[in-house]
Amino acid sequence: MPLTLTEKIIARAANRSSVAAGDIVVANADKLYIKDLRFSKKEDAKGLYGVLLEVLESMGKKNVWDGGKIVVNLDEQPPRNEKRAEGQERARDFAREQHAVLYGGNDGGIGHNVFVEHGHVTPGEFIVGGDSHTCTYGALGAFATGIGFTETVGVLATGQIWLKVPKAIRFEMTGKPGSCVVGKDIVLWVAGKIGYEGAINRTLEYTGPGIKEISIESRLTMCNMAVEMIAVNAIVPADERTAAYVREVGAGDFTPLASDAGAKYEQVHGVNLSEIEPQVAAPEYPANAHPVGEYKGVKVNQGFIGTCTNGRIEDLRMAAGILRGRKVKAGVRLVITPASFFAYRLAEKEGLLEIFKNAGANVTSSECGLCVRQSLSAGEVCVSSGNRNYRGRMGPKESSVFLSNAATVAASAVAGEIADPREFV
Amino acid sequence: MSSLTIKGRIWKFGDSIDNGNIENVMGGVDPEFKNKVKPGDILIAGRFFGMGASDEHAPRSLKEAGISGVIAESISNIFHRTLINIGLPAMECAGIADALRDGDEIEVDYLAGSVRVLRSGRTLAGDRLPDFAVQILAKGGLMPYLKNGGEFK
Repeated sequence: MPLTLTEKIIARAANRSSVAAGDIVVANADKLYIKDLRFSKKEDAKGLYGVLLEVLESMGKKNVWDGGKIVVNLDEQPPRNEKRAEGQERARDFAREQHAVLYGGNDGGIGHNVFVEHGHVTPGEFIVGGDSHTCTYGALGAFATGIGFTETVGVLATGQIWLKVPKAIRFEMTGKPGSCVVGKDIVLWVAGKIGYEGAINRTLEYTGPGIKEISIESRLTMCNMAVEMIAVNAIVPADERTAAYVREVGAGDFTPLASDAGAKYEQVHGVNLSEIEPQVAAPEYPANAHPVGEYKGVKVNQGFIGTCTNGRIEDLRMAAGILRGRKVKAGVRLVITPASFFAYRLAEKEGLLEIFKNAGANVTSSECGLCVRQSLSAGEVCVSSGNRNYRGRMGPKESSVFLSNAATVAASAVAGEIADPREFV
Repeated sequence: MSSLTIKGRIWKFGDSIDNGNIENVMGGVDPEFKNKVKPGDILIAGRFFGMGASDEHAPRSLKEAGISGVIAESISNIFHRTLINIGLPAMECAGIADALRDGDEIEVDYLAGSVRVLRSGRTLAGDRLPDFAVQILAKGGLMPYLKNGGEFK
């Protein structure tokens, strides 16, 4: 029976010759990602490690299923408060005692970026992670999906997870992206076109001849925002770009897999990349996306460039292209948070941080930053390169967040209002 | 143990409520709700319930408030799994939002996937839960399931 790429990966992880949408299977995880926040007492008074140790004891075990397959990341350095600091201490205890891989300090940054940049994604793997943006890793041809606190404990104890094989949607890409159009614009355009109804709890597969025109970084953005369409996962079949990237970051060898001709899709959509303009998602939903021109002139108090969606070097280069020789408008704040120290150092080496500082931007250490922290007052507007613009995401419910690519954020910070970055290049 | 057959008063919420706004017992939508809801009440939501973050204190707050079950037009995969994993029965049921008025009493059978509206006598068919979900709920959640010898097979 012909299978989609996602079905092939699930079937292999579930030790089955074939699976079909709707099947309930038990899969063995190849990797598990956990953010430090999960070890804090935010979700459970015992913390993740405390709950896990109880479960392990009742199962007659001392250790997790396979420490070598677990990556723990300290998303925020230094920790912002006592709860978080305590969580990070437990995360370190866990990694040491269970022989898991740990990142923090200046080899770190946001976990999803670190996970990819340190070579933990090999095409074809079945990966779950204790954070909703785990779906990012699909950009390298893996199956990857986010899970909650309790489910993370389950995977730690058993190495397994049950799941329902999702129905699939294929996006057939043709053409080439135009000026100031990157993965963010493509994924917002897709979200705007199919909405949530079309994508909820589905697999998104990005394929077609146009995919070779899309950088790995843009693919990471496109898969990262799959959860913003409420999809289970998104995937880009590995190609030459993927092979070169995984070689560079030192991931394992792999046999390229793709969907079979005749594989079953619930929907197939054509996407002509050359027709997509820079997009802006207006409050309060990421799928509320339209061409940037529709929002030109909306007054902006804050710009934010960063996050696991758009804080990579491609984004920083785009922003620098706009900010070189320009100034952020008086009264507007622009915060730039390279998503990882890998991106931070590269930006430093290329002179981008200097450009940002000269423009009057506030460059911060690598972390999730303003995406998970309140920074707006009532009535204020932020243009963010992040992924969520729900009501109250960055401040009180009377504040609002528009989502765009990093160039649009930079242009808007200079103009003091939402601006079309194409007019700045 | 979570009861898979429940009867109770419903509270109706709208579409596209994300995890962050569910925190603190639907606090982002109705800060007063936590003072109005009573143990045993049933939460009804529209489409795309629980979209966004995987953080578990939002669904846990619903359980801690005594809500005995959740039914929505559609529920995000991560949120739905989490509700089941913490032992709070939840299912998708097309047409549920239109069929109910705030304050209605309903009887829900999560095993059969049925909802009976006492006011109208009408019965709606929801999506039946996968067997794993039923077994996990029968033990009261994933942790008690694993602690009591539950396995994925």
